[in-house]
Amino acid sequence: MNGQYAALIIALPLVSAFFVPVIKAISKKAVMPFLLLVTLAQVGIAGWVFNEVYTSDKPIIVMAGGWRPPVGINLYIGHFAALFVLIIAVISFFMAYFSIKAVKVEPLDKYAMLFLLLMLGATGMIATGDIFNLFVFMEITAITAYALTAYNKTGEAAEASMKYMILGGIGSSFFLIGIALIYGATGTLNMAQIAQLAGNINPTVAQVGLALLIFGLAVEAELFPLNAWAPDAYQAAPHPITVMFSAFVVKAGLYAAARLLYLMQAVSTWHSVLRLLVIMAVLTVVVAEFSALRQRDVKRMIAYSSISQVGMIAFALALGSQAGVDAGVFHMVNHAIVKALLFLGVGYVGIKLGGTTLEDFEGLGRRMPLTAFAITVGSLSAVGIPLFNIFWSKVRIMLAGVSAGYTWGVALILGASVVEAVYYLRLIHRIWFAGGGERLSESFALGAIMLFLVALILVIGFYPNYAWSLAQKAGADIFDVTRYVSNVPLMGVGA
Amino acid sequence: MVSVLKRSLAIITLLIIGYWIAQAFAGVPFGQDKMLVGQYYLNNVKAQTGAVNAVTAVVVNYRGFDTLGEVTVLFIASTGVGALLWKRKKERTARTEGSIVLTTGTRYLFPFVLIFGAYIFIHGHLTPGGGFPGGATIATGFLLLYMAFIVYEIPHKGFEVAEGLVGMGYVIVGLIGLMIGGYFLFDWIWQTWQLGTNNIGRLLSGGFIPVIYTIIGLKVGTELSGIIDNMIKEEVRE
Amino acid sequence: MIHISVYYFGAISLILIGLYAVLVKKNLLKMLIGLSIMETGVNLLLISVGYISGRSAPILSEGVGPNQAVDPIPQALVLTAIVIGVATTAMALSVAIILYEKYGTLNVEEIRRLRG
Repeated sequence: MNGQYAALIIALPLVSAFFVPVIKAISKKAVMPFLLLVTLAQVGIAGWVFNEVYTSDKPIIVMAGGWRPPVGINLYIGHFAALFVLIIAVISFFMAYFSIKAVKVEPLDKYAMLFLLLMLGATGMIATGDIFNLFVFMEITAITAYALTAYNKTGEAAEASMKYMILGGIGSSFFLIGIALIYGATGTLNMAQIAQLAGNINPTVAQVGLALLIFGLAVEAELFPLNAWAPDAYQAAPHPITVMFSAFVVKAGLYAAARLLYLMQAVSTWHSVLRLLVIMAVLTVVVAEFSALRQRDVKRMIAYSSISQVGMIAFALALGSQAGVDAGVFHMVNHAIVKALLFLGVGYVGIKLGGTTLEDFEGLGRRMPLTAFAITVGSLSAVGIPLFNIFWSKVRIMLAGVSAGYTWGVALILGASVVEAVYYLRLIHRIWFAGGGERLSESFALGAIMLFLVALILVIGFYPNYAWSLAQKAGADIFDVTRYVSNVPLMGVGA
Repeated sequence: MVSVLKRSLAIITLLIIGYWIAQAFAGVPFGQDKMLVGQYYLNNVKAQTGAVNAVTAVVVNYRGFDTLGEVTVLFIASTGVGALLWKRKKERTARTEGSIVLTTGTRYLFPFVLIFGAYIFIHGHLTPGGGFPGGATIATGFLLLYMAFIVYEIPHKGFEVAEGLVGMGYVIVGLIGLMIGGYFLFDWIWQTWQLGTNNIGRLLSGGFIPVIYTIIGLKVGTELSGIIDNMIKEEVRE
Repeated sequence: MIHISVYYFGAISLILIGLYAVLVKKNLLKMLIGLSIMETGVNLLLISVGYISGRSAPILSEGVGPNQAVDPIPQALVLTAIVIGVATTAMALSVAIILYEKYGTLNVEEIRRLRG
């Protein structure tokens, strides 16, 4: 099949979301099965794209409207995008199933539309090769996220959504100012051409422009001090949506920030922006870990843990070295798997037992052994115990950090990891050694999803080489800008 | 006292941010020709898209992918408002009818407002305007009806389905391009069929721009009316 | 001192005024108005970046050739940005409606206090 058909990764969720009102008019019961079907089809397309990119070892360039970049907008589905589009699709498929069990608040048809559009937004952010198009997809992601955060219509949910909206609004305005600066300096919006011209931009313009772009994305990427919305939103959103936030929405923001950062390598003031990002990332880790320690609500606690891990990824991506980017991408993959598992488990407990406070988890080992087992494996992995997947990526991030000369950052992050171990072990202790209760029946399909994720964690933990090679290819895709530029068939307008 | 402190702190921070942004913009000279891709658009817009209005050609044709996203954003807003303000039973609770001027005016003006909206989106490739202003004009027509009559309601079911179908129409136009021309959102009407090549500057030209702007106009019109409807109604207890 | 055009100055001032409202005001609606003012400022800024002295709107009818028109791209971008701003505002207002229903106030500090 022609590579241009990869445009379907955008077109399919879009057309399906528009189709939902029609389905609802026919039969309201058909909406959720339809959602499941569409996400399954998306997995199929994403699998095809992934296979195509990794077997041919060349990125797919989708040119919208048949215009060659920079005249038209192009999608750049390289090794990173192909990998993450697949992860997004698979997790969305699982969460579509989980939604059938977990989401009972009306109106479900609107929920299904927003769900599909959230998936679409994150996919687009990762795939696009145009800086303004990135803004559009960022807004698609953000506005669906606002709506889904408030979806439960409780006071807390609305307040979390409002916080998110105000920070997001400020962030997107700053992002647009950044675009205005970069566009004014280069006359183009295409990422590859910006990378080509980056060396000639007035250094002040480039520095401020890049900083504003990163600042705008930092809201989505949950970096300190723009992540005040995240814990509230994670806690208040419906359980499947929390999984999606943690597993890929935040990753899309991180990736976009990293992509823009490395595109502008040629700018002479580049290192000052890197340093700023490293400081933000380390602060994110430290603040989030200490906040997590104080939480009585497990969902909120894991939300803080997720934010701290995200800070770690940002730290790795901001090191400015190949090793750092590879390690960061590897950690992204591992974190997506682990946090999907943890939030799925916790969300399932929340539905079954009606709450997610620490007390609800007492005796979980006897009441819901399968879920308890999954949460335990996820927690051990999150702490970074050897032979679980996160251990390998954490080690690589630390090594890359030391070799890039940020020993103080590594030391602070390691210190924060000890804190992380404390609260996860406290959770595990509560699950297995406190309280008790009657055995509850657990859903077979959800159990299968959890076991699948557990298996992934263990497989990557024992044989990290294959996943590491994938991450290296994806990391090179971000880091190697010369190759990025040469892969985009620019038509030499003006340049 | 605290509030004064907070205010002055905010003002100082803002001035620093402002200075920081302003000194960067000093490096982007105002009023000079900085075009790169823009000049390409101006030089080729007539031959490549058939539109006279370069902005429209950029919005719908060259950067059509952005516009698809933009339509999606508005769709999200209408869906999100619908989801958040969902109630088991909602009704209008207005008590006072509009004045005689408003009701009579609305009765006569409504069709003209709709026609004017349609005029704006159909002529998007020739004059300033296009699908978004046109759709917004249509929505003001419905807003007028809401303000003038206390019992008026849009047919939500129909509007919702229409909204979905029209949105699908946009993606399908894009997918037809993928099948005919090999590219998603390819302008098959202009570049493959070459309809209206002698008509540049008149209504029947511009390739798929009028088609897409009609789609967008209808979509924006129905969506904004839906948002008005959702916000104006209140929950009633049975 | 830096020298920038009055158009840039005006647009940046609008952004700062909007940001001030978002940071300082306690009423949610005023904060949202601040956000809108900020968006307007950004849009004006984008338009000013695309302006070229002495040229007219990029509609290529009689008398306006490819070399007499301003840059069409920023105008197209602003069109998109406006619609996105409208969408955000609509979402924000409906969340504000929910907040008012639950807490009976739009004052941010009151809401925080009521939630405890």
